[in-house]
Amino acid sequence: MSIKSWIAVATIGITAITGWAITANHAQASAFTTASDAVEYRQKAFSLIRENFAYMSGMVRGERDYDAEAFKQRAQALYHLSHIPFEAFTGAGENVTANSDALPVIWENWSDFESKRDTFQAAVKELVSAAASENMREIRPKFMDTARGCQQCHQGYRAD
Amino acid sequence: MVVTLWDAFIRGFHWLLVFVVTGLWLTGGNITYIDIHHKLGLIALALLLTRIIWGFVGSESARFSRFIRGPQAIISHIRNPLKGTWLTHNPVGGWAVVLMIVALLAQAITGLFTDDAIFFRGPLAHLLSNEWVRTLTSYHKQAFDWILILLAIHVLANALYSIKGKRLMSAMVTGKIESEKPVEQPKIVHGGYGFGLLAFNLIWIFWWLG
Repeated sequence: MSIKSWIAVATIGITAITGWAITANHAQASAFTTASDAVEYRQKAFSLIRENFAYMSGMVRGERDYDAEAFKQRAQALYHLSHIPFEAFTGAGENVTANSDALPVIWENWSDFESKRDTFQAAVKELVSAAASENMREIRPKFMDTARGCQQCHQGYRAD
Repeated sequence: MVVTLWDAFIRGFHWLLVFVVTGLWLTGGNITYIDIHHKLGLIALALLLTRIIWGFVGSESARFSRFIRGPQAIISHIRNPLKGTWLTHNPVGGWAVVLMIVALLAQAITGLFTDDAIFFRGPLAHLLSNEWVRTLTSYHKQAFDWILILLAIHVLANALYSIKGKRLMSAMVTGKIESEKPVEQPKIVHGGYGFGLLAFNLIWIFWWLG
């Protein structure tokens, strides 16, 4: 075989192996494969959501000086985080309530849970826009909408 | 004979507490109103503490020693609930009052240790472990249904007395009650002292926990 042929075969081979590797990797795109990993994943995500929200809360509620840049960063972080935990209520995390505050009713009312998730994520998105205004008068109502977005699921879907 | 049963502080305490507990009920469990709920809870705490102190130093009719009665008095009252005019709470009502004060006080105190996992943290929550805060938050949320049942029984019992012609509710407004037999007027302490004590309690409670 000529060098050109060797290169062609090698290219096809590498492409195939890479493709297989990507596909295989994709099959394990979730960060969790077991129920307990799924619970840990969503709890960690919610804990980060809580930390970031608490930081913003300090500024909105006047317990910490308002720093527009820090607030924007936290809002942005919250926006990304708001999309993280919900995946872990599906797949290996579906119907998993062991060592968790999640109530079984989540999966009984799945479409309601999803719509509340969407409301929460939409509220966070608006909070990010309001943060850009650097105006506390615009931020405060969006902050409260987000808080209500949290509470709507805490009541009924989270153990007291 | 007309007797002065309830001093002005007891009446003021009672109706302020009705107002505040109604507000607490309406603002509870809703993060939008959590700051109002917190402030109302502190007012309730001040009211209850003052009432407890008044139960030792206030008018005779308001003293715990007068209305906390043993099983015999309770049984005979249940057998004949309309007999006589009590110059304090009747033996069953007295225990209902104790129960309501204890339940509401527990509610006010546990509220100080709650954490809603969103942004509200009770002013004393930092003193306890997360597990304790979780437990007390859960208690605070669930106990209110039992308090509502207690209050419903209280209202119902008083409504029944009104239907039967015993004007206990109007006594809590005017302070006066009619006794068929001549009785010894209980010693009444001026309500102003009670309101002064209430003001003092409100000040330190809001200063410390507000």
